[in-house]
Amino acid sequence: MKRTLIIIVDLLIMGLILFFIVQYANTKMRESNERVVEDFEKMTITAEQIITNYLEDEQHLCDIWANYINRSAEAGSPMTGEEAISFIRKAKISSSIYGHLLFLDKTSQSGISTHASSKDANDYSVSYRNINIFDNIDEISREDGKISLTRAYTNPQNGVQSIAFLNYVKVLDESDGQLSEAILMRVEPVSMLEDKLVFLKGEYENVEISLINKEGEYLVHGKSLKNSNFFEYYKSYNEADIVDYNEMTVKVTSETGTMTMLNSKGEECVISYTPLKSMNTWFLLAYIPAGELKAANTVVDWLLLGMVTLGLLSLLTFNYLILMLYNKKLAEAAEAANQANEAKSHFLSTMSHDIRTPMNAILGLNEMVLRDSHEDEIVAYSESIRTAGKTLMGIINDILDFSKIEAGKMDIIDVDYSFVSMLNDLVNMVQGKAQDKGLSFDLEVDRDIPVILHGDEIRIKQIITNILSNAVKYTKEGSITFKAGFEKMEEASDSVKLIISVKDTGIGIKPEDMDRLFVAFERIDENKNRNIEGTGLGMSIAQSFLRMMGSSIEVESQYGKGSTFSFELIQGVKDWSPIGNYEETFKRAVSERKRYRESFTAPDARLLVVDDTEVNLSVFKNLLKRTKLQIDTATSGNEGIALFKQNKYDVIFLDHMMPDKDGIETLKDMEKIQDSPSKNAPIVCLTANAISGMREMYINAGFDDYITKPIDPERLEVLLFEYLPKDKIAPASGDGDEEDYYIPDFVWKIGSLDVNAGIIHCGSKKSYMDTLKTYFDSGQKNAEEIEKYWNEKDIKNTTVKIHALKSTSRVIGAMELGEFAARLEKAGEEGDVTLLETEIGNLLTMYRKLLTEMELLGRTDGEEAGSDKPLISEQDMKKSYETISELCEAFDFDGVAETVKSLEKYRFPEDEAAKFETIKKAVDNFDYDLIPEIISG
Amino acid sequence: MNIKTVRMAKRMLGLTSAIAMVFCFTSCGQKAEESAEFKPLLSTETSCQIKVAGNYSNFESLESEFERFYEYYPNVSLNYVNLDDYNNTITSALMSDEAPDIYVTATWMLEDDKMAPVFENAEVLSDPSLNINLDCLRKGTCWTLENGDVVMLPIFTRTYGMLVNMDLFEMNGLEVPKNYNELVDVCDKLKAAGYEVPIMGANGMTVAGMYYAFAFPYFCDYVIKNPESVEALNSMEKSSGEMMRPALEKIKAFVDAGYLNPGLCSEQIEDDYNAVIMRFFEGDVPIMLGSGDMVSGTQKRESKSEAFLANSFKYKFFIVPTGDDGGYFLDSVNLFFSVNKNSQNLDMTNEFIRFLMREEELGNMAAIKRLTTPTNDFSFDEVYSSLEGFPEDKTFSYQETGLNDAVNKEFRAAAYNVANGIMTVDEAISGYGSLWE
Repeated sequence: MKRTLIIIVDLLIMGLILFFIVQYANTKMRESNERVVEDFEKMTITAEQIITNYLEDEQHLCDIWANYINRSAEAGSPMTGEEAISFIRKAKISSSIYGHLLFLDKTSQSGISTHASSKDANDYSVSYRNINIFDNIDEISREDGKISLTRAYTNPQNGVQSIAFLNYVKVLDESDGQLSEAILMRVEPVSMLEDKLVFLKGEYENVEISLINKEGEYLVHGKSLKNSNFFEYYKSYNEADIVDYNEMTVKVTSETGTMTMLNSKGEECVISYTPLKSMNTWFLLAYIPAGELKAANTVVDWLLLGMVTLGLLSLLTFNYLILMLYNKKLAEAAEAANQANEAKSHFLSTMSHDIRTPMNAILGLNEMVLRDSHEDEIVAYSESIRTAGKTLMGIINDILDFSKIEAGKMDIIDVDYSFVSMLNDLVNMVQGKAQDKGLSFDLEVDRDIPVILHGDEIRIKQIITNILSNAVKYTKEGSITFKAGFEKMEEASDSVKLIISVKDTGIGIKPEDMDRLFVAFERIDENKNRNIEGTGLGMSIAQSFLRMMGSSIEVESQYGKGSTFSFELIQGVKDWSPIGNYEETFKRAVSERKRYRESFTAPDARLLVVDDTEVNLSVFKNLLKRTKLQIDTATSGNEGIALFKQNKYDVIFLDHMMPDKDGIETLKDMEKIQDSPSKNAPIVCLTANAISGMREMYINAGFDDYITKPIDPERLEVLLFEYLPKDKIAPASGDGDEEDYYIPDFVWKIGSLDVNAGIIHCGSKKSYMDTLKTYFDSGQKNAEEIEKYWNEKDIKNTTVKIHALKSTSRVIGAMELGEFAARLEKAGEEGDVTLLETEIGNLLTMYRKLLTEMELLGRTDGEEAGSDKPLISEQDMKKSYETISELCEAFDFDGVAETVKSLEKYRFPEDEAAKFETIKKAVDNFDYDLIPEIISG
Repeated sequence: MNIKTVRMAKRMLGLTSAIAMVFCFTSCGQKAEESAEFKPLLSTETSCQIKVAGNYSNFESLESEFERFYEYYPNVSLNYVNLDDYNNTITSALMSDEAPDIYVTATWMLEDDKMAPVFENAEVLSDPSLNINLDCLRKGTCWTLENGDVVMLPIFTRTYGMLVNMDLFEMNGLEVPKNYNELVDVCDKLKAAGYEVPIMGANGMTVAGMYYAFAFPYFCDYVIKNPESVEALNSMEKSSGEMMRPALEKIKAFVDAGYLNPGLCSEQIEDDYNAVIMRFFEGDVPIMLGSGDMVSGTQKRESKSEAFLANSFKYKFFIVPTGDDGGYFLDSVNLFFSVNKNSQNLDMTNEFIRFLMREEELGNMAAIKRLTTPTNDFSFDEVYSSLEGFPEDKTFSYQETGLNDAVNKEFRAAAYNVANGIMTVDEAISGYGSLWE
């Protein structure tokens, strides 16, 4: 997961937690708000009760006055207006409360008061003419206890805002002596009522109690409610449509409830309303800023919320830092793993070369043993070596492939290939093994499979080989059936679906083991199959290859009865010609191959082999000995190039891995040379790199073909048959090789010589004897030179000479001397003068002792000289001398050596024989500068 | 005490009102810039209650000022009380235990003996120690007593003129006329454009009637230019009726030309306030004559006129250009505030008055009420923007003319009678002194 994504997810979770907290807090707050509003409403109701009580009390006092006056009238002694007012004046306690008696029959709405006018101390009259409070005079109740109250108005006598409680009284009209009805008013300043509301401030600091009538006009109002009318005020500052407005007015004037609205400052405020009980004309409003109710309500703990947020953020930061730390460590670990993997790859590729190179020697030499040995026991051992070697090579190849797949470096390289050819290889490989185990190998190949397909031939072959090998390995008796079929593709006209299956009657696979079948290094039924060799990589590799090609192996198996492995693979088609009857084609091909293999010689053809390892060269030459091919060898790229310039070769073999100039560089240089007689010679790469995909690499590099080491002699001969000019190929001569070549007894008797090893190294007995003689001839001079360089303290050249001694000694089988020389060579390379000092004498002693033991060789040579060789003509001899002189001048010492060697076939006249021997020795001792002198005499 | 005050008031009005005005001119209208920023002089923590008494049932513009004042003095509680039968109860109220701290006064109260206590209780607001800025007031709005004391401060003023339907003018490619000839020209063009009666208003004798707005300021100017006529006019001498001739002739000319149609106005405009405004909002009246009260009423009636809601238009107030070089700005104070010198919270009351007497606050109140501000800053309400920078020599108050209320009434009656064809101009002039009955 990317870092950003982790952070986003973290933030999301954080957001969700905070969201939950806020939601929860909001819910709680809402509940709390509702509670607060309920409490506020309760307070309103309490206020209403207090006010109602007050009003009822005041009305009651008004009613007492009225009752007293009325009872007087009822008792037949009605009071006059003056008497009534006089009574009230006495009855009332507070001076701020006025009693007004208004005579109804007077249109002026005037009467008398308990108090004199503030303007005139003698004026007790009162007039309501200009004060409109009696519009609904009929609504004044005559019942006791029923509140009859005016709106707030200005007491005309004192200019004080007042309210009046009303009742009717009957008083005596002095003018006519009749009882008439009058209105008795208990007039109180509004401030008295306001004072009753002050007590409420304790609980809510900013609460304002207002009283309004049905029209919304205030009886009393606090400072926040503006206008003279609450409803007008509401309309001025709240955008409400007519329906909402009407609903509001109805609610406020009919029920108990709470609403929110905006005040004149646009701030939210809460208004709780309730009608005054026992009056349907007045309504109580309790106003409070919404902020105060909210402030009293502190359910949401913002500190807690802040701390949680902070905590989560810290956690996120901490986690992020830890994540970064782990990422860094992981990156380091990944880097280390990569390095380890690279090291592994490096190790594997090194191993490829390093194991394959000695394997080349082992298998190559073993092949020679197989050919040359007539002792059954040796042959049997040798066969075992070959089998084990091939198995080992298979394992190495598997490991290499597997490592390459693992590293993702395995590529699928599609090429055109002959399906029949592939089948040949597969069948050849398996048929023998199957026969060896006594299994019948059945082929069912669709005759219509196109002859040339396009795909990764090598991988497909590997896959089928793996399956077939397994089938053979795990089948004790019965048969193996190989089926190859195909289907045409509807969607792609230039492709076919190859259907391959291999059915065996082997041990089968348990269902529970199926899953492990394709797991690397897993071996199923290990106990039972302990004796079956393999790494457990084969099927895993095959499956991996198929996956890369978009397919997979299907397995059907019955434990104990056998298995069928199959797969389908889409392949391009290059030639739709059907392969026909494969069995027949195969048999014909096999017989053809046998024929040419058995009869193949090419004495006129000439090969150049370049390899830095002499033994490899020796092996190569000997493997082809029976073909009588002329083989030139070179131990370095430059040496090879020199020969390439000069001679006409039919095929050139170049080792890939060489010091200084490797095979590819050598090839490039050769390609640049325009005037070489070998210009068009096919060049084949010799390589120990058996890693898959190498073929393409070499072909791309410019090679015509390649052959892997250890060299498969059959493959080598097939390859040569393909590349050599047909006119130079002749049937096998059938005459004996050097099987009967005689090695003198004294040679066998030299204790420090391992003759057999020498023969193997040299490829044949004759070659061995030749090599041995060369070794002997140059021996004394060589020993002297080592001595000379050592005495001059020329460590470098001493070491070079000892190195040569090591190689040559090993080739002839003088193993002890070779090892001794190797030790000193190492000492020389390391500058270990002390060791050289003490041991070099011993080395020379041992060397010279060997040479002494070989002295008979000189004689043998002498005895043999000129025996049955043709006498060289005077003319040829002169011509040869000239050629040698020219070559010496051109510093073409290889050419000199070649020429000298070719002259060895001839017998020289006696007077020239010594001269020729001198030339030969000079060549052997690399004293090329002496040769012209010798020739000129 | 009572008697003395009444006498003083009488003297002031009857004899020295012109002088009083001169005092006022010298003391007001000079240092307007001082009112810019209000700086509290008392502790802003002060807590008290202040009561304002008045005759408006509703005083939203004042309540708005309460709120603004609370920003400086949050613990002060201001309350407006509408007294029933104000003219009768205010005197008692001032004597009561619950006397208001601030109360509304009017110029007529100066003339009325019964109202004497109103001024007996009034604080002298021109006292320099109070720091009340009287300089922001416009010439002609500031009233002083004979001794130079200022006991009443103007809050709103009104003038007389015409509402012009600006969109209609613009649509017809017309400019608002600046002098009499242009006015006549515009009326012709409007008639030609199909507006049968270009000028409308309430056909009545009130100050809100159309003839008062049309010709009375013109008449006043004529009187000011002929001060010797004042005494005769005030004493209802028949011969002085001749002073009305120029104004009456202009009315006659406009009626004759069909620019004014009294009959049609009576038919379509039932009263001199609501009906005038609602008719104007119909949108087809180019010019509507009336008082500042008419303008004040427009604000709340825009939303009540379906015609205006459907087709709103821009309108502005102008002085009627009845003179050859323009019209006359007759300035009259609509409402004064006085301070009860016995107030228990006199300092804070004076502080509130000091706060209020600033162009910004007066302008704000006037804008809410849509009356004209007593200051020279008309920027608060675009409808009055034409009054900005009105020539001072054509601005005067009624008091400045020296005419009494009777002259006013005679003129209104004369104008109505001439316009409605009840009298000829000559008959009206000769009937001067007995026209109002």
